[in-house]
Amino acid sequence: MKFELTEEQNLLRDMVRQFAETEVAPSAAERDEQEHFDRALMFDRLGELGLTGIVFPEEYGGAGADYISYAIAVEELSRVCGSTGVTLSAHLSLCSNPIYLFGTEEQKKKYLVPLAEGTALGAFGLTEPSAGSDAGGTRTTAVRQGDEWILNGTKIFITNAGDADTYVVLARTDKEAQKHHGISAFIVEKGTPGFSFGKKEKKMGIRSSPTMELVFENCRVPHENMLGEEGIGFKVAMKTLDGGRIGIASQALGIAQGALEAAINYTTQREQFNKKITAFQGVSFQLADMATQVQAARLMVYNAAYRASAHLSYSQESAMAKLFASETAMRVTTQAVQLFGGYGYTREFPVERMMRDAKITEIYEGTSEVQRLVIGAALTR
Amino acid sequence: MKLLVCIKQVPDMESKFKIDADGVWYDRSDLAWRMNEYDEFAVEQAVQVKEATGADLTVLCIGPEQVKETMKKALAMGCDRGVHIADDQSHRRDPYQIASLIAAFAGDKGFDLIFTGMQSQDRGSGQVGVMAAELLGLPAVTTIVGFALAGDKITVKRELEGGVKATVEATLPALVTCQLGLNTPRYPTLPNIMKAKKKELLAVAAADLSPADALLQTVKLTFPEKKGGGVFLEGDVGEVADRLIRILKEKTSVLA
Ligand SMILES: Cc1cc2nc3c(=O)[nH]c(=O)nc-3n(C[C@H](O)[C@H](O)[C@H](O)COP(=O)(O)OP(=O)(O)OC[C@H]3O[C@@H](n4cnc5c(N)ncnc54)[C@H](O)[C@@H]3O)c2cc1C
Repeated sequence: MKFELTEEQNLLRDMVRQFAETEVAPSAAERDEQEHFDRALMFDRLGELGLTGIVFPEEYGGAGADYISYAIAVEELSRVCGSTGVTLSAHLSLCSNPIYLFGTEEQKKKYLVPLAEGTALGAFGLTEPSAGSDAGGTRTTAVRQGDEWILNGTKIFITNAGDADTYVVLARTDKEAQKHHGISAFIVEKGTPGFSFGKKEKKMGIRSSPTMELVFENCRVPHENMLGEEGIGFKVAMKTLDGGRIGIASQALGIAQGALEAAINYTTQREQFNKKITAFQGVSFQLADMATQVQAARLMVYNAAYRASAHLSYSQESAMAKLFASETAMRVTTQAVQLFGGYGYTREFPVERMMRDAKITEIYEGTSEVQRLVIGAALTR
Repeated sequence: MKLLVCIKQVPDMESKFKIDADGVWYDRSDLAWRMNEYDEFAVEQAVQVKEATGADLTVLCIGPEQVKETMKKALAMGCDRGVHIADDQSHRRDPYQIASLIAAFAGDKGFDLIFTGMQSQDRGSGQVGVMAAELLGLPAVTTIVGFALAGDKITVKRELEGGVKATVEATLPALVTCQLGLNTPRYPTLPNIMKAKKKELLAVAAADLSPADALLQTVKLTFPEKKGGGVFLEGDVGEVADRLIRILKEKTSVLA
């Protein structure tokens, strides 16, 4: 057993950190304030650095690197900006990966290559008003007419929506079939007639990542854009989320790391009662707990990522990593705000943004309760 | 055309340094390592020349096994191959010995242009490049902030004290040492990091290059005494502003 990153993984971390600190961090607070998705910075630049297709083979426009590299990239981006982290995670794990896993050769050439190269941005539409944690509740329908499928329905809370060029969308293709059967996945291009965007959410955190509704009104999608066989959409979604959890766990890890560093920097400068506040054990013990939890989260995330690349089963590990890392992010960012005192509560300092950003990691791609459900079910099977 | 760029691995300058037990260098354990900043300008310039002319570019680094990681960054930035002069004791060598190793390797290779950083961030002697040039019998231009190549001639800009710039010409072969402001080093993209893994990395033992004897010996390394913060400029606002501008120009690159 070896707990060391490879030279390539170290170089990647240095590169992404330098990019994140010099280019992403300076505008993070302002983008948050203005709910501004800066695609040129938050996506196009990632493409230029070869980060938009990290785990896919070179023949599909990827970098041919492993899942640990992917985790590192999302972690480092999220360390300074949770919104940029999720942009990459949703693009890669939720849209590009199902096309890689389930797509035909033609679909991969047409859609995966531009996604991986970073010329097309991806999004994933599963959630609906009545289908949240219970993805089987999907009501969007797709009805076959000749060589086309006609989609009707609404998806909500979709990350990257509006700006994304390519969408993987789940719809019910068989109304008679049992809940989890009869759902199929489709690749839908932005601009397809009958496909439009609804309201943009006003959010607590990750405010520079756009979250929007997808609206399908008699939207005709060619049969060749069905992703995977008819009726296996639920499986496509679950496999997609297994990988996605590594992305969100990495996002949570990065946010927690950023808050930990901010807290260390601040508390080692701040003086009260004629002392550095770190001289108070009540403060240094908090830092110790935060650092310990962040380190535990990191090991869990990298372990799940390692298993994904080694083609070992990893849905249990990624659920655990996502659960632990997201709850760590929430605890650590809340503690960081506490350690900053009143300053931490203001927008002068980044920790309040980190705390707002952290919360979503306990909710999307399966709430913490759903992760426990997944983990518990596997334990008691 | 054949190019050589010499790089050094140095600790992250934000590390918390401790003096080593021998009292003449810093403790090398528990540090994060990176490419010497000035060497990044050297690598970037060399890669630009390679891209413009199709020249062949070798990166050289002297040090223990761990420097290979930094060499891979140079390979990911665009160098064609690496030469690792394996030397666990490189941090104890004086600038002349390091220069002698570079010269011993480069002597019979016929490099047309050699790039180095103007100094290292840890030792900061600024001597290695010029000494290597001397040993190789090459003209050296130091602290360059501008570079142009035409035929077998280079025209470089040097920055002198007080922001004055000088333009210097030299005929190849030549050696230049690179200064902040020369260029903006590119990021090693992930695909290039992955490709660097497959590039040739030759190892040569330092002993096989028979390094010269040291000319200098570090006797003691100490931390500077803690000083009170900063300089206060007092007086008439206009005059204070003029002095501030002068200081910024002379001591920093803010107003280059
Ligand atoms: C900013 C943002 C971005 C998003 N991005 C995307 C996206 O790109 N694509 C996409 O498809 N979706 C996306 N989502 C949707 C997200 O995945 C869902 O909101 C999430 O899965 C929860 O579903 P819900 O909101 O319907 O909550 P519900 O499922 O209604 O849950 C409400 C509460 O009940 C609990 N609960 C539900 N079922 C159980 C149970 N069986 N046992 C115990 N507790 C339970 C939940 O844990 C939660 O606490 C996004 C959401 C947000 C807010």
